[in-house]
Amino acid sequence: MNRTTSAVPIVSVAMAGVLLALSACSSSSNTTNPSNSQPSASASANTSAPAGSAAAFGGMAEGPFEGWVEGLPKIEAPAGFDWKQFSGTQLNFISENTPPSSALAANIGIFEKATGIQVNIEQSNLDIVAEKVGLDFNARNANYQLIYADPYQILSKQSKNLADLNDFNNDPSLPHIPGGLEDFIESQLQADGYMGDTEHLYALPYDSPTMVLAYRKDVFDKYKDQFQQEKGYDWTPSANMTWDQYYEISSWINDKVKSGAISEVKYGSGHEAKQHDSLQADFSNVLGAYGADYFEGENLGSVGAARPGKSLLTSPEAVEAATMYKKLLDIAAPGSKTWDWTGVAEAFAAGDLAMAPIFHENNAMFEDANKSKVVGKVAWSILPKGTKRSANLFGGTGIGISKYASEKEQKAAWLFLVWATSPQAQYMILKSEEAGSTPTRHSVYNLPDVKKGMEPGTEEAKAMPNLLPMNAVLEAWKLENVYMRPKVPQWPQVDTIIYTELSKMLFDKQTPEETMKAIAKKSDDITGN
Amino acid sequence: MPQLTETFDRPEQATAAARSRGRAKGSRTEFWMLLPSIVVLAIISIFPFLFLIYASFMDYSLSIDAPSFTGLDNWRRVFESDTFWQSWGRTAIFGVAGLALELLLGVAVALLLYHAPKGRNLIMTLWMLPLFVAPVVSGLLWKYLLDPTYGLYNWFLERIGIHTQILGDISTAMPAVILMDVWEWTPLITIIVLAGLQSVSQEPLEAAEVDGASGFQKIRFILLPMVRRMIVVALLIRSMDILRYVDTITIATEGGPADSTKTIGYYLMQVAFRFQDMGTAAALGLTMLFVTMVMGNIFVKMMKKGEG
Repeated sequence: MNRTTSAVPIVSVAMAGVLLALSACSSSSNTTNPSNSQPSASASANTSAPAGSAAAFGGMAEGPFEGWVEGLPKIEAPAGFDWKQFSGTQLNFISENTPPSSALAANIGIFEKATGIQVNIEQSNLDIVAEKVGLDFNARNANYQLIYADPYQILSKQSKNLADLNDFNNDPSLPHIPGGLEDFIESQLQADGYMGDTEHLYALPYDSPTMVLAYRKDVFDKYKDQFQQEKGYDWTPSANMTWDQYYEISSWINDKVKSGAISEVKYGSGHEAKQHDSLQADFSNVLGAYGADYFEGENLGSVGAARPGKSLLTSPEAVEAATMYKKLLDIAAPGSKTWDWTGVAEAFAAGDLAMAPIFHENNAMFEDANKSKVVGKVAWSILPKGTKRSANLFGGTGIGISKYASEKEQKAAWLFLVWATSPQAQYMILKSEEAGSTPTRHSVYNLPDVKKGMEPGTEEAKAMPNLLPMNAVLEAWKLENVYMRPKVPQWPQVDTIIYTELSKMLFDKQTPEETMKAIAKKSDDITGN
Repeated sequence: MPQLTETFDRPEQATAAARSRGRAKGSRTEFWMLLPSIVVLAIISIFPFLFLIYASFMDYSLSIDAPSFTGLDNWRRVFESDTFWQSWGRTAIFGVAGLALELLLGVAVALLLYHAPKGRNLIMTLWMLPLFVAPVVSGLLWKYLLDPTYGLYNWFLERIGIHTQILGDISTAMPAVILMDVWEWTPLITIIVLAGLQSVSQEPLEAAEVDGASGFQKIRFILLPMVRRMIVVALLIRSMDILRYVDTITIATEGGPADSTKTIGYYLMQVAFRFQDMGTAAALGLTMLFVTMVMGNIFVKMMKKGEG
């Protein structure tokens, strides 16, 4: 028994003990308001004068926020703008429990100090966020003025309950989006910000997790020659790898692990194939790679549509993709069927897997010695190709403003939005100790230290671990490689049908063809086709 | 001037009238004392119930502006849904297996504690610990213990050569979820039954002792019949509870794998909060209410039979 495995039960018992202790406590709030938190030590102070002062620049004056660095667009407001005019206003931001929201909560003091606006950041699972937002909108309460508007679970259904951000951005008396809308990555702005058309802007891109392939560089380097001798090709994951090769490599590693020839990992591959949204996300990568899609409607992955048209899942390409997916899961780590996106990342961090399709923002965990046994051993590539292309699922989200909030609250919320999605806040989140997130802004990726951080082994890569997968991610974001799910109001139901039927397929309760037929039929019932 | 004062021929008539007036006055007092409770009950129970009936006939989604009347559409959708019937099937399996195990274990432990010469309070305190764990925390606890990457139980099973994903296999997920419920709620049955046992008069037991009854005979023919009502009460409480068991399932399995742990309560929650289809959820909820009432009635009849 090695040291690492013997630690397992201790950790487990500790967790159990903590949970038992927690259960005795009545307080269960996960609302955070670290209003006393200090600005990030890594953020360089903005030395410009306070708002409305002589620091006017073409009729605009810099905002009083710390953290700006040379090379980034500045947060600016019309000269004379009083950044403290909404002082004392309290805003509630409901968000999925993601690293960027934790980083934002830890640094919210910067915004509160500059504006006097208090922001409570409440974080929950996405299902809970969607439920609370739906109830809040239905009651016209605006208990939450700031909404984590997931494009698929929230924006697609609730866009009419969100304020049109163009109204604020075009208001000459308010600060505008620093760097303009063009500084956002176009495909992400389309997916995160609009619904149905580009007339109304409902949210600004805030985070950008994307599924790419994480693999154990140490394993792939060590056994490279042996594999090449046996199979005749270089197995290093790259844009040329196919799902067939991925299957072959995973099987080969499994065999070598069983024979004792490989001991660095337990399984060749792992997947997030629990009966959960994650299963749909994992499958979508393969579906898109074989040139198939869920619905016949156009622009569903960009601006979305109210009616998606008929299901396309009975196409030969979709059945081929489902057959391949079943094949992949048959040889994946057995835990795959219990893992969602967190589970597969934890298994990879525990050193169990040689490769896995994973949301790239988990790299911060992989490079954290307190949480990972694979520090310095991870490399990234875009996902393998199918018969058509490589398809890498984008999972980003924007922030919107409830239209039921009062005018004063909406304007205060706009100030928050301008700051939270600004290049300097995105840069701050990237560098935060909470592991943060990768930016949604072109300008941040153009910073010299950010470019250096994308290269393994640099000091910048150590300081900003989420940059390490960025070469793969930037490749994945190219139009020919990115996969955007259909953004339609019926998505929560369709999504549930997809992952439920897929789960049945994985347990041999139905064939891939029957599965695609079942999803198509049920989806068409839901969408009225 | 009309006669306002009542006249009585006999003193007992006067007494009866006075009693009647007293009762009327008492009734009025009782009414006013009960009124706040009735108002609260109306607000928290009767109004939502009526609203549930109304919503079940409406196209009522959280994302639409105003609900519209759809007749029996929601009801048709519910009854035509395979998921609805399959969820009820799983709920029946979950309920019957869970209640049976809890009853057997709960009564057995209560009898053991009843006969324990000493240390009863300490054992009872330890036995009751799961009751203090919130169901959500219970779900998290078991999820961590059975996690394939770092779960204690999973690690232990692997050490003895059993490679299985307990929550990730359709043949083991439902038994695991049933055992989670049994672990948490068996102590409740124990408490109720033990309270009943402790109130049993010692005379019949002493008489049975004199007649040479064995320990098993005393339990079978004296103790259990005397605590029968308590057992039925415990079953009534648990059966109603078990129908709406969703917290632990939500955390531990989310209804999977392959829908193998999707009970009717979980399905209702999914329709209401994930799909935000309140109309269909209302129809589903009313079917649950109906089944709960039928079950409640059966148990009440069992209690009355016991009284007879």
